[in-house]
Amino acid sequence: MINFNKVTKKFPLGVIALDNASFKIDDEFVFLVGASGAGKTTILKLILREYLPTSGIVEINDFEVSSKKFKQVEKLRQRIGIVFQDFKVLSDKNVFENIAISLKICKVHTNEIKEQVKEMLKLVSLQDKEKVFPAQLSAGELQRVAIARAIIGERDILLADEPTGNLDPKTSWEIIKIFKKIEKKKTIIIATHNTDIVNSMQKRVIVLKDGKVVKDAKKGGYEL
Amino acid sequence: MKEVFISLRRSPYQSIAAFMVLFFTLFLSIVLFTSLSFLYSFLGFVETRPQVTAYFQPKTEESTILDIKDTLIDSGKVLSAKYISQEDAFKIYKDLNKDNPLLLEMVSADILPPSLEIYAKKPAYLPELSEYLKKQSGIDEVNFQKDIVDRLLSLTNILRKSSISFFAFLIAMSIIVLTTTTLFKIALKKDEIELLRLLGASKFYIKKPFLLEGIFNGLFAAFTSSVVLTGILYYFNPFLTSYLRGIPKLALNLDFYELVIWPINMPFFALTFALSALFGIFIAIIATSLATNKYLK
Repeated sequence: MINFNKVTKKFPLGVIALDNASFKIDDEFVFLVGASGAGKTTILKLILREYLPTSGIVEINDFEVSSKKFKQVEKLRQRIGIVFQDFKVLSDKNVFENIAISLKICKVHTNEIKEQVKEMLKLVSLQDKEKVFPAQLSAGELQRVAIARAIIGERDILLADEPTGNLDPKTSWEIIKIFKKIEKKKTIIIATHNTDIVNSMQKRVIVLKDGKVVKDAKKGGYEL
Repeated sequence: MKEVFISLRRSPYQSIAAFMVLFFTLFLSIVLFTSLSFLYSFLGFVETRPQVTAYFQPKTEESTILDIKDTLIDSGKVLSAKYISQEDAFKIYKDLNKDNPLLLEMVSADILPPSLEIYAKKPAYLPELSEYLKKQSGIDEVNFQKDIVDRLLSLTNILRKSSISFFAFLIAMSIIVLTTTTLFKIALKKDEIELLRLLGASKFYIKKPFLLEGIFNGLFAAFTSSVVLTGILYYFNPFLTSYLRGIPKLALNLDFYELVIWPINMPFFALTFALSALFGIFIAIIATSLATNKYLK
């Protein structure tokens, strides 16, 4: 359960990135939509506790993220996977190692890591590329590695910031198919501009404008 | 270990700089340690020789000499005092000159002086004991090792004091250089560290590869510097053997162990390596922690 209660985020020069936003997300597939600067990424960063709210409360599974107990923040982050527009796949590690890193952080046993990574490679259709390095992968494949890294293990919340932003339409749909495969097991929050995907998926849509939540539709679409 | 070697390969110049500064520090440290150990053990050796020898006129009464001996022992400044009578002196003389019958014929016990061999509790008492003996009746001559002991004491003190300043300088220099090289390495892995933090990695998980690399550098530098010192000491062994002829053994008597410094031996080199390894690891851990804490803050 993710709970935003009257959350405001102001930056030092007075820019308001999020203004009194309130919503709850509970084991759902949610799109965060809005123009650039509307506050989508700010919401993701508040969930990850990269940012602290200026006012209001952000709770994840009853843990208030403003808490300064770093051990608890680490535990919280170990339950969250993140996918970036620019993939952030580590160039000096092969596909297997890139995915395994998520489990190593959580101190999973080596044998268990091998099993889980192989399973994940099948899910994202990269089973024949486990020893390949990122320089030899296409953009779509890189994003699939990033998704595998984000959902492996006990990470039950998936945050994706413009996951299809650097991909062509065909590859974008392949990525969305992967999200659909895992949606029953995870809370998925995708920040995107891609109206085609949002409209065809018919999932919950939270629309942001100038940091304010202007629409929250259970099965909605979106127009630019 | 695989990650350590990958990191060394990815940033070879920083790794070489880190290794060289650690090698320089540890090599100088173990040279100082060896020199100080040698000087202290040599000082200990000199202190086991008769430190003050008082020669009396041949006709001095034995009771007078024994009274002086008792007074010295009662002073609390003397560890032991040994009376050498004219007969004992003659025996020693005969023993020393047994190959020269002419010298033996010319000397009898009557002309040799009786003496007292005195061992002080501290070298600092030697001048005082010497002055006391010179004032006694029947004294012919007083010899003591003031010069040697004084020189050794002052040399040891100078070396000890300068070592402390030098160690402090070496530690500061090494920590600054190693912190800087680690910060370079962290900058190279900035994206990876940022990602690891977002994925929930603990601070220790992020620090671990840098700490392991620092410990590896510390151990490797300790090993190399110990090997170089061992090589140098074995190379100069013939010269040292000739120079220290007549000294069978130099050792530091620790409460629980006698550390033999001379002749050169493997346990001493093993201890030198162990100390330099600990020192190297300590420097590496401090520098790595400073760099990673600064970044993670």
